[in-house]
Amino acid sequence: MAMTKQEKLDRKAEQKYEQTHQRWYRMTAGDWVFEIINHAFFIIFTLLCIFPFYYIFINTISDNDLVRKGAINFIPKGIHIQNYVSMFNVNDVGTALMVTVGRTIFGTVLMVLASAFVGYLVTKQDMWCKKIWYRCLVITMYFNAGLIPWYLNMSMLGLTNSFWAYIIPGIVAPYNIILVKTYIESIPGELEESAKIDGASYMTIFVKIIWPLSKPILATIAIFGAVGNWNSFTDSLILMPDAPQLHTLQHKLYTYLNAASNLKNMMNSGAGTISGAAATNVLNAKTIKYTISMVTVLPILMVYPFMQRYFEKGIMLGAVKG
Amino acid sequence: MSKEKIADKLYIVLRVLYLVAFVLLFIPALNPARISDLIPKTASVFTCGTSYGTLTQNFARAFNKGWVGTLTLQMVFGGCLCIIIGFAAAGAGGCMSLGSNKLKKIGVIPSVLGGILAFAGCMMINWAATDIKGTPKPDRIVPMDPQNLTFYIVLCVAMVVLSVVIFFCLPKTEKGEKCYIETKFQLFLLLLPFLALCIVFAYLPLLGWRYAFFDYKSGDTLSMDNFVGLKWFTFLFENEATRADLVRVMRNTLAMSGLGLATSWCSMAFAILLCEIKNLKFRRFVQTFTTIPNFISWVLVYAVAFAIFSTDGFVSSMLINSGAIETGTNYLMDNSHMWIKMLAWGMWKGLGWNAIIYIAAISGIDQQLYEAASIDGAGRFQKMWNITVPSLIPTFMTLLIMAIAGILSNGMDQYLVFETPYNTDTITVLDLYVYKLGINGGRVPLATVVGMFKSVISVVLLFGANKVSKAVRGESIM
Repeated sequence: MAMTKQEKLDRKAEQKYEQTHQRWYRMTAGDWVFEIINHAFFIIFTLLCIFPFYYIFINTISDNDLVRKGAINFIPKGIHIQNYVSMFNVNDVGTALMVTVGRTIFGTVLMVLASAFVGYLVTKQDMWCKKIWYRCLVITMYFNAGLIPWYLNMSMLGLTNSFWAYIIPGIVAPYNIILVKTYIESIPGELEESAKIDGASYMTIFVKIIWPLSKPILATIAIFGAVGNWNSFTDSLILMPDAPQLHTLQHKLYTYLNAASNLKNMMNSGAGTISGAAATNVLNAKTIKYTISMVTVLPILMVYPFMQRYFEKGIMLGAVKG
Repeated sequence: MSKEKIADKLYIVLRVLYLVAFVLLFIPALNPARISDLIPKTASVFTCGTSYGTLTQNFARAFNKGWVGTLTLQMVFGGCLCIIIGFAAAGAGGCMSLGSNKLKKIGVIPSVLGGILAFAGCMMINWAATDIKGTPKPDRIVPMDPQNLTFYIVLCVAMVVLSVVIFFCLPKTEKGEKCYIETKFQLFLLLLPFLALCIVFAYLPLLGWRYAFFDYKSGDTLSMDNFVGLKWFTFLFENEATRADLVRVMRNTLAMSGLGLATSWCSMAFAILLCEIKNLKFRRFVQTFTTIPNFISWVLVYAVAFAIFSTDGFVSSMLINSGAIETGTNYLMDNSHMWIKMLAWGMWKGLGWNAIIYIAAISGIDQQLYEAASIDGAGRFQKMWNITVPSLIPTFMTLLIMAIAGILSNGMDQYLVFETPYNTDTITVLDLYVYKLGINGGRVPLATVVGMFKSVISVVLLFGANKVSKAVRGESIM
């Protein structure tokens, strides 16, 4: 991935920091002890963060009999991918995956479009009563009516047991609107003005100038929005009691981690689909739980290292205010 | 008074009517389409006109037996749809009224047509209501008089009449006059749909607070019959059981938030120590992998906990393999030190991520400070303690104040997933309690009361924190 100019500068500054530090600094015995302990601490903490995922992963690809006996702890044995294949043949996990992917894509796209547009609109000083409307949006970040009124409201709107409940409420996201607004305000106003003189309308300016220029911030909110959508679990749990086909992957995972009865059904249907093909690798309770966990976490594990800089940008933006 | 001024005044009335109409569409308690008890109590005009399935969800048997003709329900559905479209058209006319004189005149057309369409919708519902009364099984279908239908009709008529009157009050359009809307209203109209969404999903729930004053069970309607005033507020504190519950829940909430606050310096220490590592690649590696847990949901954290600590998880199988124990233990069922365990999971998830903001702050510290300190003979720890830490204190204070403002909101996901029958007593925090009380237990009014207290206290805390921040740092956090 190509580094941006800013990142190159950052890297340089970091290197300079290292050099100056080393120049002024001689290692004593105490320093050595500190260095070792410090490194050891971070190695251990990092391992604590990585190992559980590694452990779950090797257990999903190893021989299922060995897994059941608890023999797979550090090294995978008898590698196969049958678990994943059977998992996708089991109906409700496939459906849950579709629902989750669908809400992640739709929800994120709509949220980003709306945040960009509203973020742009609220930078316009000549809007009628702009301040009032902007306050209306921002205040909603600081208070909420509570879980029960929220639930009653959603059911009043007919959004229980409906896929739209995942999408519509998330479209207007005040926090993201503020982020976009702050970013747009940092874009030189001359660009917009010259376009205006050339006769461009607000929509044209938004599409041709603001949108392309604010892509970095939009990427950041998109990635946070996508992770939030992927991880959301409470809305599925509370709003979809009678629509199991609309449960998200996280909700399914929660159900499977908790309920034994589900597992039995699943083992039967799972075993049915792979009968004969790999009789040795029949799904068991443990592998089912681990495999769904892995399906749920893999997208994030795979995307995260590449998107890390956007994530880090996100938290730095957190300091902005309405 | 000149004609234009009359028109302006009337426009204000008309726009208020549009707003009322818009809100009415979403309130099930005032739904005129509820002509039978079988139509869900939670259905509003909007639901009835957009989802035929919801409207007829209880009618399968009635249709089969021929108690009610499908046409009747289709009329209700169509009527609601007409009302929705009619109000939408009228609203569009209302938007056009913000424009120039010519646009105002043109805008009268959708206003009038919309009013008439909505009126027709009301008539369709009225027809269906009379029709359903002729059902052979009145005890099953329970036909009802369409409440508020008169109000809807009055609304429609008022819209049409006002629009027509306005039309004649407006000055004549001159030749060559153009249709346009002033920039300030144009921008407002662009924002309007998003404002509406915001109002529907963030402000409308506040109406739900009224449930706290009623004796409400799921599916009931609110009427003066079950209005109980402040009964639930006093009940909460006078009833032995709920008071005990509340004390327990508050203890858990405050204890866990308090532990979180007491350990909030850890992420600062993490950042300082990480920045002491000279090898950039190693640092990068650590940073990448310690932040990942922040991006997985609590359900997945529970899945991780399950994989490591359950009966056949990693710890058990390691202990069995080494011969320390015979059969696996499910450590997740153990209810000792729950607060500490929850704190530990919170740290595992958040420590690396929370450190990032401090790492950024550290890289912003002026290097000359360190150089000067080195020349003066300061060692590594002295530099850390006397330069790095004081530079990070402002960031730390801001985050701490914000954390104090959120002391009641620990969220419910974490505690919901880690809850077992054995640890309920020590793990139930306020958010989880409200969920269990209201959604699982169906005690809506009581849960609403608890939620109200929480919301109000949180807002007060937030403003207090803001004040403190202003006084201490001269900077507000909001």
